[in-house]
Amino acid sequence: MNNYYTTTQANRAKPSDDWIADIRKSYPVEKAIDEVFTRKLRNRNKAAGQNLDFTRLQKPLEEFLKKQTRQSDIEVLDLQRLSGGASKEQFTFNMVWQAPSGQKETRKLMVRMDPKESIVETHRLRECQVLKAAWGEVPVPEVLWIDPEGEQLGQPALIADFLEGTVQPPQPEAEDKMSGVGMYFNPQLRGALSEQFVQILADIHAIDWRKKDLSTLDVPTPNSTAAILTSFGLWERAWNEDTLCAHPVMERGALWLKENMPIVENPMLVHGDYRSGNFMYSDDLKINAIFDWELAYLGDYHDDLAWASLTIFGGPDENGDLLASSLMPTTQFLEKYEQLSGNKVDPKKLFYYQVFSFYKISVIAAATSIRVAHSRKTHLDAMMNYAGGIGYIGLSELNRILDIAG
Amino acid sequence: MSPEIEQFLSGMKKTIEEVVMPNLTDRFAQEQAGIVAATLGFLSTIQDKVFHYELFENQEYKRILQDVLSTLDTDPALNDSLRAVVEKVNSHFQHDKPDEQTALRPYPFIRGSNENMKEFLCEFIQLQPEMSGQTRETFEKQLKPFFKSLETRERSWVKGLGFDPEAEQQQDIGDILYKNNLLRSN
Repeated sequence: MNNYYTTTQANRAKPSDDWIADIRKSYPVEKAIDEVFTRKLRNRNKAAGQNLDFTRLQKPLEEFLKKQTRQSDIEVLDLQRLSGGASKEQFTFNMVWQAPSGQKETRKLMVRMDPKESIVETHRLRECQVLKAAWGEVPVPEVLWIDPEGEQLGQPALIADFLEGTVQPPQPEAEDKMSGVGMYFNPQLRGALSEQFVQILADIHAIDWRKKDLSTLDVPTPNSTAAILTSFGLWERAWNEDTLCAHPVMERGALWLKENMPIVENPMLVHGDYRSGNFMYSDDLKINAIFDWELAYLGDYHDDLAWASLTIFGGPDENGDLLASSLMPTTQFLEKYEQLSGNKVDPKKLFYYQVFSFYKISVIAAATSIRVAHSRKTHLDAMMNYAGGIGYIGLSELNRILDIAG
Repeated sequence: MSPEIEQFLSGMKKTIEEVVMPNLTDRFAQEQAGIVAATLGFLSTIQDKVFHYELFENQEYKRILQDVLSTLDTDPALNDSLRAVVEKVNSHFQHDKPDEQTALRPYPFIRGSNENMKEFLCEFIQLQPEMSGQTRETFEKQLKPFFKSLETRERSWVKGLGFDPEAEQQQDIGDILYKNNLLRSN
């Protein structure tokens, strides 16, 4: 689309300072979120698209690692782009360095880096803090270093240990699924992974976040709607900044979500994207990493429960019955969660967060993914256009669940 | 004119799948080439229906906005925000008249009109809390079948992308557009 058919569309494509100021006033979001969203809008006016030549990273990466390790003879070998994933550019490399033992050592690491615009715009320092808070509590890759503003690596990035394992097992139709969408785990895998999946979620919610350095997360007032106000604000703002087209069902959803906000009694660390596709397991069928913490915030655990059991992320068992995150029936998932966490599942709140989940997936796939492909600001333009299809299923499901809400 | 667009697309898809992909060794490149091939396949299924899709939407949005205007017209206590949107719609209908032969207009005109009408309807939805109880109730009733029709249409449109677990239950978009003479000749 080269022409903008409405003033709003033109403003979104070429945001002026006044328009950005209006947007910032209109949607309540956390401070860190405002920072990255505002940066995204200011960068949108810059013509440069995403540079796909990742060899550009070799030299700055070496220099960055030399500074971080204070070693002058660091080598970066075998820098490779990772396939899979959608929101960030990811690379692996071998770092040759002098380990604390004094021995010369090769360590396999990964870089997780913002593209020019992402399917979800998030804060690298915030993700780094959350990963560090989760380290030792649940299986996560160890974060080693961060370039939060991209001053040294060109774009904001973090560097973490590379873990070996499987995210997506071989699929029956011999075709790869988009990670986490309709995946299939065979009965042996389901048997081994399901309870771990729930236990880890319970463990995340039990993290004593008050004892962690999470300075980039706003702390919501307990027994209020503060947590959902800013969480919803993020997604409503993303929709209004990114969508190429207005959509009546999204406005219907936004209105319902605003008029029915539940109280969050006791804010917990919410992962924000907990589902199949965002965990990895080892050959002995142990979940050895939970990924994609970039959407974590302090809020209601029902949010993770609704997201993990969202029909769009589910896959069927051998009888065609849909499983939560392709692992287990939703009722079993919720019962197991109650049992392992001690947190009660409130059906009304769960319903609210189901509506919210369909709203979120619609923002991600029907607005932001199409926007970033439109702006040529990602490494995955073809995939981002294609993923728009998920957004329209999300919109359809959002409309259906709103019909139930009445 | 030949070849038809479908032939261009299927030729490109075949070349990517049978020539390019088998010779790619990089996993990321293979993944992206697969998505390009799948996109070409999807485009084949919809490319000849794009114009009529927009035409259909043009009729749908004109119809719902006219219904909404009728409802709001009966509300004596309409506030300034709602009145402003009503004015925008009326002004738009001078530009793309509801009784005009829109089918003879070029695609960008129809698409542009639709984008504007979508925004007007969205503004009305946002302003629902400012409607009187009776008006809001009527408005919501009017919108329900519109939402259903929109949902069904969009889900049919994207069914060929392969994400929909209910794909088999979705009508083909051609059936929605062309059955029952839904595209009027106005």
